[in-house]
Amino acid sequence: MKNLNHGLVKRKKRGRLAIAGVALATLVIASCGGSSSSSTDTDSSARELIVARDMDINSLDPSRTYCDTCQIYMAATYETLIGLDVNDPSIQIPRIATTWEANADNTVFTFALNSDAKFSDGSSITSADVKWSWERLMNIKGSASYFLDGVSSLEAPDDATVVVTFAAPNSAFLAIVSSTYMSIVNSKVASEEGNAIAASGADTTDLAEQWFFTNSAGSGPYTLESYTEGDSLVLVRNENYWGTPAVFPKVTIKQVKDASAQLQLLQNGDADIAMQLSFDSISQLDGNASVVATPKDSYNYVYIALSPGAKGAENLKDPKVREAIKLAIDYDGMIDITVAGNGKKQASPIPNGFTGSADLALPAQDIEKAKALMAEAGKESGFSIDAIFPNANVYGVDFNVMMQKAQQDLKAINIELVLQPVEWAKWSETIKAQGIPITAVYFAPDHTDSSQYVQYFGMIEGSSWAKRAGGGAAGTPVSNPTEKDLLAKALAAGSDAKAGLYTQLGQELINDLVILPMVNPQLVIANASDIEGMHYSACCNLELGKLTLKK
Amino acid sequence: MSAPTSYWGLMFRFIFRRLVVMPFLLFGIVTISFAISRFIPSDPLISIVGERQLNNPVVVAAAKQRWGLDKSMFGQYSSYMGNLVKGDLGISFRTKTPVVGDLIDRLPATFELAFTAMFFGTVGGVLLGVLAASRRNKFADHVSRLFALVGSSLPVFWLGLVVLYVFYARLGLMPGPGRLPPRVDSPEHITGFYLFDAMLTGNFSLVWPILQRLLLPAFALGWGLMGIISRLVRSSMLDELQADYVRTARAKGLTERIVFLKHALRNALLPVLTVSGFSIASLLTGAVLTETIFSWNGVGSYAVAATRSLDYPAINGVCILGGMIFLISNLVTDVLYAYADPKIRLQ
Repeated sequence: MKNLNHGLVKRKKRGRLAIAGVALATLVIASCGGSSSSSTDTDSSARELIVARDMDINSLDPSRTYCDTCQIYMAATYETLIGLDVNDPSIQIPRIATTWEANADNTVFTFALNSDAKFSDGSSITSADVKWSWERLMNIKGSASYFLDGVSSLEAPDDATVVVTFAAPNSAFLAIVSSTYMSIVNSKVASEEGNAIAASGADTTDLAEQWFFTNSAGSGPYTLESYTEGDSLVLVRNENYWGTPAVFPKVTIKQVKDASAQLQLLQNGDADIAMQLSFDSISQLDGNASVVATPKDSYNYVYIALSPGAKGAENLKDPKVREAIKLAIDYDGMIDITVAGNGKKQASPIPNGFTGSADLALPAQDIEKAKALMAEAGKESGFSIDAIFPNANVYGVDFNVMMQKAQQDLKAINIELVLQPVEWAKWSETIKAQGIPITAVYFAPDHTDSSQYVQYFGMIEGSSWAKRAGGGAAGTPVSNPTEKDLLAKALAAGSDAKAGLYTQLGQELINDLVILPMVNPQLVIANASDIEGMHYSACCNLELGKLTLKK
Repeated sequence: MSAPTSYWGLMFRFIFRRLVVMPFLLFGIVTISFAISRFIPSDPLISIVGERQLNNPVVVAAAKQRWGLDKSMFGQYSSYMGNLVKGDLGISFRTKTPVVGDLIDRLPATFELAFTAMFFGTVGGVLLGVLAASRRNKFADHVSRLFALVGSSLPVFWLGLVVLYVFYARLGLMPGPGRLPPRVDSPEHITGFYLFDAMLTGNFSLVWPILQRLLLPAFALGWGLMGIISRLVRSSMLDELQADYVRTARAKGLTERIVFLKHALRNALLPVLTVSGFSIASLLTGAVLTETIFSWNGVGSYAVAATRSLDYPAINGVCILGGMIFLISNLVTDVLYAYADPKIRLQ
């Protein structure tokens, strides 16, 4: 007994000591925990810039890149012949090229290169590098290779001149040239050190992609220091940059998938820029003087597609039914529910701000007219139809929420949408195999010319959505040969005539009643309040070299 | 040659047999995962060329040729198995780098997380179980059991989100997602275990930040195991405390502490050993979700991305790795169990 009591006393003492120890440990952890931020730099120009982003990098090989984050990377480490004014993307500015011109019918384009332009290794950029880079883009046959479709010759008559000839007029080419996917690569470094190949057959012989994961070979304000997939992309300032040097000596894009985690990093000072915050985060940043969050207009949009040629879509063959669907949607409510009002309606598949979008009527809900059209089509009692769509959240728009809203709206005209969210791989298989009656997708521009929208969405032969919708050719449920004629004219037209032609094309795309833009969402760009120059770029998403610090 | 009769002989034969069977089991795993990933009606091309170019015949044909998707199913299988026997798991569609390299790069992150979670789960579970057993039906017992219930019932991704929100976002007590502070470079690579690499390279200033960032995700991941083990220990302890030998020990005048810790607990730990061994697999699968929430660049998040993009080589690689880990951890558990309990027969 005595031993037990003694043991009990000792246990109690040890228990108290243990509790004290745990409390002390907690205090120690707490004092060291929380924001680990940043070294409080006294010299602000030495600060490393941290960008929190869910990276969607498919490659760092300039001829294979094709993603939003890739555009940011390419704009930082490489350069194009022509740039775009950050504030007005319709204004082209010299970059590697000082001047450029197109002949009268937009088949021959001549570029004069800046003799001061240099790669990061100090070597001059010559026309041979331009020819090599664009030939490689064509011959690798990656996703951006279509930019050079129709090229009949690519010449470098001297070190400072590049001449590109197309078989058919292509007024879009100068806009295409400003896309980051048309960046110029140091051909000597890439071929000697990376074994990169530009010649025909490169799609099967080139093995340089892995070299590009550890090396950049460009002329941009930054060079690649390291890339760790799923973790970070680190860039360091190009000390040989021939233009205005970047302010930040180092930029790290950190992989942070979750929007709320991005917000937390920004709020705690562990990130300087968060690129994919949700719209409700704007209000959470109110009153936080160290962070600025601004919604900015974008050229991205999400849309619903109606495919009358798909299996199970017989009811969509009648354009009156498709128009009824279009009129039944509550577009204002859609914007409220998906992006909390931070978006705009869009008239046609040509996005707001692009040539041909300005003078078109925005969609509006009209249930009575929709019902009348359904009655005229003999579908007053309605029908059920499959809506298979990617289970995705793109540019802040949750596709599940968007389709549930559409489902609710269409009940007013007795259409029952059978919603089936699926993974992208399943969506792709289904749309390829049998088409999908109603689906949802998104579009972000590859370059700043409106032709891409007609080529992709037009009901003309060869267009992706003509194939998917079961249209394009004569005799199919939807075809629009007028679009083909107008597009040919637009590609041959000078800049004065293009606006009118693309406006007509926009109206034709509306009349197709296949692509129904739902929301043109704004982008929430949030950054530390001492960073200046934040923007959304039509060609590049974000040009890191243009960011500065407040003095 | 007669069969071994010595203990170590039996042990050696037991281990040898299991190792011999392992490649056949892995072959089965690879074949099944290959078949499942190929036969589900989904198209990996979208993750290779992007949605925009799915209807571009030139781009699609080049992609199919590059990734061997233009071959027949049997042709793809033969190619894959032929490379596999040479140790080549192929190139990931998504990362464009060898799958072997991808897994080797990410394995330390996952192991670091899983073993730390296992440490929390096992040690924490034992301590909680002992506390609960020694304070049976008292306040400490109830709290301990509630804590265990929460951990073992709630999904790990929810636990992860909540602890991150509470301790990082609201209270600011713990650092945020990621293995390192955003503005800190990783230690020089030796093992890939940041903690060890920091210590081995003398970069001791990194040790505490790395440990801090390991605490929350490991706790969230290990909480479930802690719950299971604490209840197991409590239950086992209470059974052992009723045993005759405990009564004898007390009668001999041993202190309650010695009876508890040196006698009862020792016997109560045997089932803990089994559960801990088998928990490796569940910790690794739980790491899939935890890694996503805490931006932890391990095999789990790699597996999620591979599955979503139908990255065939990566999916097969993860299945092989998972199979190997499962088989080896079971073997180790069985060996340790046999070593700990002489009554276990190896024949």
